[in-house]
Amino acid sequence: MDSKHYLPPLVCGFGAAVLTTIPGVKSLGCCLIVPLAAILSLFLDHKINKTELPFRFKNAMFLGLLTGIFATFFSTFFDVLMTYILHTNEFVQTLPQTEELVRQYKLGVLLNQTMGMLKQMSKDIQQNGFSLFYIAGIFFSNFIINSIFGTLGGLLGLSFINKKVKK
Amino acid sequence: MVWCFGFSFESLFPNSSLAIVSYPILKHAYGEVCHQLPSKTFLIGSQKLLVCARCTGIYLGALLISFFSLFFIKKLNFGIKLLYISLAPMLIDVIFSTLNIYKYSKLIAFGTGIFFGSIVFVYILAAIENNFIDKKPEKNG
Repeated sequence: MDSKHYLPPLVCGFGAAVLTTIPGVKSLGCCLIVPLAAILSLFLDHKINKTELPFRFKNAMFLGLLTGIFATFFSTFFDVLMTYILHTNEFVQTLPQTEELVRQYKLGVLLNQTMGMLKQMSKDIQQNGFSLFYIAGIFFSNFIINSIFGTLGGLLGLSFINKKVKK
Repeated sequence: MVWCFGFSFESLFPNSSLAIVSYPILKHAYGEVCHQLPSKTFLIGSQKLLVCARCTGIYLGALLISFFSLFFIKKLNFGIKLLYISLAPMLIDVIFSTLNIYKYSKLIAFGTGIFFGSIVFVYILAAIENNFIDKKPEKNG
């Protein structure tokens, strides 16, 4: 694939990451931000690179997946950057409530180990603005979820664009 | 199905140790795709679901139609209008509730979500099925 084909997913992935970082926009867009970015990525690819229509299945899936992956990199980067600047984040702020909730169930050693790890992460963030475990955790969860939603968006975009062509 | 099970796991099995230990991880993972505002989230028993009412609707709509499509939907060839029609109620609800034209209702959000989710799933399924249909002549030829 030509390197020009990577530009639309890069731009749309960046846009999706920015939007997911803004709390107000997130409450409006919810789970549709990354799929919409993937659909837009297909449109842009067609406009910029004059991709032949109808779109091919594997190309649409690839563009959607790539949008999700780029969104993951950028959103993780923004999260890390904000955490580094502020030395706090949602995870640190909600940890006491999570602990309070979880402590009610008296789960013994397993709970103590889990909470110990989470508290260490929280301590690292508050002291250094950085926790390797936290970054690995958010990157992994973002990667899985954005890849799935990006691919689904690519497939929806494929269906949408190809139906427009048929019309 | 796994996805729907994930966001309702803690509500369905509130006393399970696995649910409690996995709670912080699942909360963050679902938080990536949903705002999880407590005022816009359904309660099951005493536990909140990990996604808002609209997202719950979208995912349940997709789940229901996926079961339904196994037995009843034979040919997936819908026009593009249906997608617009399914999107319109949700979009109107988002705009109206945000502008305070009427008060946010979990049930309306859930209803518009379920309609949109089920239609979107049909389009995604159509894209996958059409791919296999298009491939068949290539193999024969």
